Amino acid sequence: MWLPLLGMLLGFAVGVLAGWEIPDEYSNYLSIAILAAFDTLIGGWRAHLQRTYDELVFITGFFFNIILATTLTFLGIHLGVDLYLAAVFAFGVRLFQNIAIIRRLWLAEWAERRQNREKS
Amino acid sequence: MRRKVRSRVLLTFICFIFGTMLGFSYQHTKEEEPRRQWSDSEWKKEYEYRSALIALQKENRSLKQQLVKKQAELTEWEKKLAEQQSNEVGLAKEAEQLRMHVGKARVKGKGVAVTLSDSSYIPSEASATDYIVHEQHVWKVVHELLISGAEAVAINGQRISHRSYIVCNGPVIEVDGTQHAAPFVISAIGDPDVLSSALELAGGVVDQLVEDHIDVKVEKQKNIVLDPVFAPKP
Repeated sequence: MWLPLLGMLLGFAVGVLAGWEIPDEYSNYLSIAILAAFDTLIGGWRAHLQRTYDELVFITGFFFNIILATTLTFLGIHLGVDLYLAAVFAFGVRLFQNIAIIRRLWLAEWAERRQNREKS
Repeated sequence: MRRKVRSRVLLTFICFIFGTMLGFSYQHTKEEEPRRQWSDSEWKKEYEYRSALIALQKENRSLKQQLVKKQAELTEWEKKLAEQQSNEVGLAKEAEQLRMHVGKARVKGKGVAVTLSDSSYIPSEASATDYIVHEQHVWKVVHELLISGAEAVAINGQRISHRSYIVCNGPVIEVDGTQHAAPFVISAIGDPDVLSSALELAGGVVDQLVEDHIDVKVEKQKNIVLDPVFAPKP
């Protein structure tokens, strides 16, 4: 359980300290990619809690979502349509849903545990 | 067990990538922040001030240009004024003098009169041309007089200007279209001593003319009056 968290912290440190530069035009892509990645991570967590986690789906979903989101943004910028809004919307909604599901699962677990304790 | 380790490692890897993206984005946003600190009202104010400044600068520039123009005008005026003042005094005089020089006015003064006549002794009819005055002799005298500082020159009373011509026309010579026959009196206004001594230099004009069998007479005169170039014939 600690290893992924450690990896994330390490990555954060690398990202902050590496001092990479990207032009402002590409900051859109970066934020969309982060949103997609975050959504996939939360989705994976929810799947894990629901015991439907599938490694292949998770990994492919992670990269595919990032690529899809950035491609959509790219297309949107070049077509003059704010397509990245669609990505933001879709991922945002899914993010909230997933978090809500996780919360409910936790609640259910907590309630179950309390019932068990009262019983015993 | 191995599968679990593998999935852990993969998850860590993915988390690492995500963390990197997060960190990068964080740092990027933080770098951009100072640029975004301006609020709308501040921008508006800045814009207002800036446009006011630009308008002022524009006005300043146009005013400066006007000033420069006016100054140039003023200098011009001053120059003109100074010129007028200094000119008014000598202008009439100068104009008169210039007119005298170009031959548009009657001139009076001391000078010399050079008379060139054909030789009184002509040995034979065949060589007569060697004993008469030709136009080049007149030229020589006129040139010598002008070089030595004659201010006005006339041939037989006809004023010579800077555009005059002298051509040979058979037994006579033609000066500006008017024919003259020998003897030729070339009168020049200037310093009589200078002019006569210039003509009488050893090996000078007079000597050369004498060599060409011409009777030359140089007279200093106190008072010579020369008419303008195209004076009406008396």
